[in-house]
Amino acid sequence: MGQLNLNTVQKFYGTFEVLKGIDLEVKNGEFVVFVGPSGCGKSTLLRMIAGLDETSSGDILIDGKRVNDLPPVKRGIAMVFQSYALYPHMTVFENIAFPLRVEKMQEDKLKAKVENAARILHLDQRLQQKPGLLSGGQRQRVAIGRAIVREPKIFLFDEPLSNLDAALRADMRIELAKLHRQLKATMIYVTHDQVEAMTMADRIVVLNAGEIAQTGAPLELYHKPANTFVAGFIGNPKMNMLPVVCKSVGPGGVEVEYQGQSATIPVEGRAGLVGQPLTLGIRPEHIQFGAADLVMTIAPSVIERLGAHTVAYAALNGEGENFCAMLPGSAAIRTEETVAVGINAADCHLFDAGGIALERRVELTDVDMGLLKAGAV
Amino acid sequence: MSTQPAMINRYRWHELIGIYAGIFAFLTFILAPFVEGFLVSLKPLSQLFSSPYRFIPQNGSFEAYRTMWVSVPGFARYIFNSFFISTIVTAVVLMLVVPAAYAFARFKFKGSGHLLGAFLAVNMFSGAVLLIPLFRLMRSFGVLNTYFAIIVPGVAFLIPSAIWLLRTYMMRIPKELDEAAFVDGASHFYTLRRVILPIAMPGITVVAITTFIGSYAQQFIYALTFNSKTEYAPLPVGLFAYFGRQEVIWNELMAASFVGIAPAMIVIFFLQRYLVSGLTAGAVKQ
Repeated sequence: MGQLNLNTVQKFYGTFEVLKGIDLEVKNGEFVVFVGPSGCGKSTLLRMIAGLDETSSGDILIDGKRVNDLPPVKRGIAMVFQSYALYPHMTVFENIAFPLRVEKMQEDKLKAKVENAARILHLDQRLQQKPGLLSGGQRQRVAIGRAIVREPKIFLFDEPLSNLDAALRADMRIELAKLHRQLKATMIYVTHDQVEAMTMADRIVVLNAGEIAQTGAPLELYHKPANTFVAGFIGNPKMNMLPVVCKSVGPGGVEVEYQGQSATIPVEGRAGLVGQPLTLGIRPEHIQFGAADLVMTIAPSVIERLGAHTVAYAALNGEGENFCAMLPGSAAIRTEETVAVGINAADCHLFDAGGIALERRVELTDVDMGLLKAGAV
Repeated sequence: MSTQPAMINRYRWHELIGIYAGIFAFLTFILAPFVEGFLVSLKPLSQLFSSPYRFIPQNGSFEAYRTMWVSVPGFARYIFNSFFISTIVTAVVLMLVVPAAYAFARFKFKGSGHLLGAFLAVNMFSGAVLLIPLFRLMRSFGVLNTYFAIIVPGVAFLIPSAIWLLRTYMMRIPKELDEAAFVDGASHFYTLRRVILPIAMPGITVVAITTFIGSYAQQFIYALTFNSKTEYAPLPVGLFAYFGRQEVIWNELMAASFVGIAPAMIVIFFLQRYLVSGLTAGAVKQ
């Protein structure tokens, strides 16, 4: 088993509140990713679960047992560090065997376990080498091997791929996802890279300034961000935010006015919105050429040709912030030449003045078949 | 096309001449007494006071290296004492300093900063200032005229700088290594023994060498104050035996000095193999 419960977990450094009462349940076998900008408290939270940092208040429960006061080894966790933290004077074999040596395991049993971990991680041929001779990816696999041999209830990963180059990172993402399926263990993974979060997680926990901004499946966060922070954080390039005014609230959604044009956004309205300023969110990949519910003219100042896509950045209507549109790879646009682009109301997100989302009328099972199968929604 | 990066000439030729001239002058200043001492050890006594003075010996020989053992028959004992005292002092200092430096490098505890400052302050005292109180202390413990009386003050005076030196080295070892070991269930002592000690070996070697040399150099002050027995006297005390009533046997004195430091040189030669850099390669992403 490997169920984790965090009950109103707080962390103070002096008088500064780093984590502001985190409540979270991680189910057995789940792959949960903590994601958020630097300084949001995600690594601190992981270190508290590991037992490396003390918890100021609240309870950390693993399989129903309060572990706040237990040392890491008695919590049934294993941790993989961002910087690998390999012992440079030991061979790969001894590095992986280290936790087993600490618990004084019999030599034949120890050897079998290390060799099994090495086989899973394709390190069989490297067992007698020292970490200094390995590549970054191999080093990180040794660090993972050291965690595997302990057969922990919960694996904790602290940005394990952030030191690798882009190609290796992509490979390791796939390997970690396979490893999760193979071991069926609970994994908690910290990253600031939303691609890692989106591709590996069963569930993502978005943290912002010491609080959980939203928890949900990757596509849930993409399609139904709970607030402007999550909307801006998930998705690359980030969501465009346009100031609009609410004209009416009806059964079809919320009608908004933008630059003299009106569109009804299919979201759940509520009383008191009419006349209020709202924020309309539209992802760059949902912007298209030609006729649509809302049309605008842009003159791109920067164009990035990525092959499959063309990303155009433009200052919109004299507003300072860059408006970003992701267009087809062969889009016929040039810098500083005006072009009309449109957005459909069904693709839009709407946020109130406090940045809280008005719920989109999107069935999550329509956008994520995985959720349908898992029955999570 | 070569992938070798182009060598950058950081200095102009006249700057290089200045740098090398400076190094040469510095080395001459440092090494000249040693060269002169060695040359004196090769000269017959009669040649030492000839006029005009000859820097290079005529008919130089190693005769003084043979006769020095006859002039002072117990000289081997002095060398042994120096070597023995320095070895024990170094061993004790390392035993105490390694865990202490680890604690100062890794743990924040109340008063740690003040304690480190106090260690530094101790080093500011000249050993000579404390000789009288130390003498009284040794006498009250009844350890005058023993190895103990020479070893204990040596250990006490060499510990502070050793802690500072090793603490600084240990602070450069990534903390994640300790944390990884801690997560794996290792105690602090196990982590120190299995993880930190092997990685800190170059730092420990530097401390061992400086302590050994420090003890070799300063033990005479304790030996002259707290000991009057030949059987415990170290090398510097033994060298005084070459100062006769009528004359000083300079060539034998110089020969004895070089013979006396040979064991220390051999120890340093063997220790320096641990002075390798890059022991942490591959530990963490640099």
